[in-house]
Amino acid sequence: MNGKPEDRLERIVNDLLHGRRLKLRGGDAEEKEAITTAARLAGARQAPQRMHPAFRKRLAATLAQTPQEGWLTRRAALVAGLGLAAGAAGGTLVGRAVHPETARAGGEPINPVHGRWVDVAAMADLAEGQGQHVVAGSVSAFVFRRGDAVTAVSAICSHLPCELWWDGRNANLACPCHPATFESDGHPSVGYSLPALNTVHVRVTDAGRVEVLGTE
Amino acid sequence: MTEEEPAGQAEVIELPAASSATDMALDELELVYAFIYARVGNRADAEDLTQQVAMKAIPRLRPGAPASAIRGYLFATARSVLGAFWSTRLGLSEAELHDDLAMVTPEGPAPEEGTETVQLILAQLSDNYRRVLELRFLHGYSLKEVAAEMKSTVGAIKVMQLRALRAAAKVRLEE
Repeated sequence: MNGKPEDRLERIVNDLLHGRRLKLRGGDAEEKEAITTAARLAGARQAPQRMHPAFRKRLAATLAQTPQEGWLTRRAALVAGLGLAAGAAGGTLVGRAVHPETARAGGEPINPVHGRWVDVAAMADLAEGQGQHVVAGSVSAFVFRRGDAVTAVSAICSHLPCELWWDGRNANLACPCHPATFESDGHPSVGYSLPALNTVHVRVTDAGRVEVLGTE
Repeated sequence: MTEEEPAGQAEVIELPAASSATDMALDELELVYAFIYARVGNRADAEDLTQQVAMKAIPRLRPGAPASAIRGYLFATARSVLGAFWSTRLGLSEAELHDDLAMVTPEGPAPEEGTETVQLILAQLSDNYRRVLELRFLHGYSLKEVAAEMKSTVGAIKVMQLRALRAAAKVRLEE
C-alpha cells in the first residue's frame, strides 16, 4: 500500500475526528492495533454518546417491522449471563429459534431503460462457482457459472451504495463499506439482515458468449 | 460470526409475558450505541452496527422479557457484531480483540466506561505520547496546532502520533 504508516494512520485519525466512517484500505491492517486504539480515543472524545433522534426514529420504525421469533434460547441466555433458573424455563423445544430471518425482500431484477445485451465474457472463461465482475454499460454485476447455467447479481450493496468485491476465500460477495456479505445468489449471508441484491438478466449465446442486460 | 448454534438442539426459555419489549429494547439500544460508539469512534459506523445488533437480537426476544434479559442479550450481540466489524475491516480475530470487546454490561443509563478507560490508558504513557493524544483526540487539535503547542513539526508529530497509538494499544489494564 502506498504511503508511510504515519500518513496512513493520520488519514484515518483525521476521518475519525471529523466524524467520518472508518475507511480502511489494504495495508492498514498492519497498524490494526493503532487503528482500533485511535477509534477508542475518538469515541471517548464526546462520550457518552446518544443516538441521533433521526436514527432513533428510524430504528424504531425498523423494529416495528421486525417479525419476532419470540424465543430466547437457553444458550443465548447463558451467553448473556442472565442466569435464569432452569425452573423458569417454558420447556418448549424450538429448533428454528437460533436462526434469525436475515433476508428482507430485495432481489428484484434490474430492467434497464432502453437496455441492451452486452457481451461480457466467454462462458469458458468463467470459473465454476467463482464470481466474475463484469460491467455492461452502467450496470455493474457479478456473474456466476454453475455447469451450463449462468446467473448474475448486481455488484452494488443493497444497503450502502458501495461496489462489492468477490471474496474467493470465503466464496461470497463482500461490501467494503460495512461488515456485510452476500451469497452468490444475492441473499445476505447468515447474520445480516439486509435486502437481497438485485438480480441482473444474463444469457449465454449459441457461440458460448455470456451477455448481460445492461445499457449503452 | 458464530453465535448461532446447530438447529434442532435449542432448548428455549419462555420469558415472562408482557407488552413492550420493543420499546424497552429501544432504550436499551441507547446503551448499546454508546458502547459501540466508544469502540468505533464515529457516528456512521456506530449507527450501522447498532442497527445490526437490533436486527439480530430483537427478533429473538420475547415480548415482556425483563430489562436485564434484553440488555444482556443485546450486549452479547453487540460484541458479536463488533467482532465481525473489525474482523472484516482489519482481519482481526476475536482473540486479538479481547480487550476491545471486554465488556461489563452497564447497570446504569449513562456508561462512562469509554472515557474512563481512555484516561487510564493515557495515564500509562510517557508525557509526550500522552500529550499528543490528549491534544489530538480529546481536545480536537489539528496536527498543525499540536505541532505548535508542542514546539515541533507536523511531520514529527505525525510520527509521534503513530508511535503513541502503538504504545497505547499495548497498554493492558488490570481487570
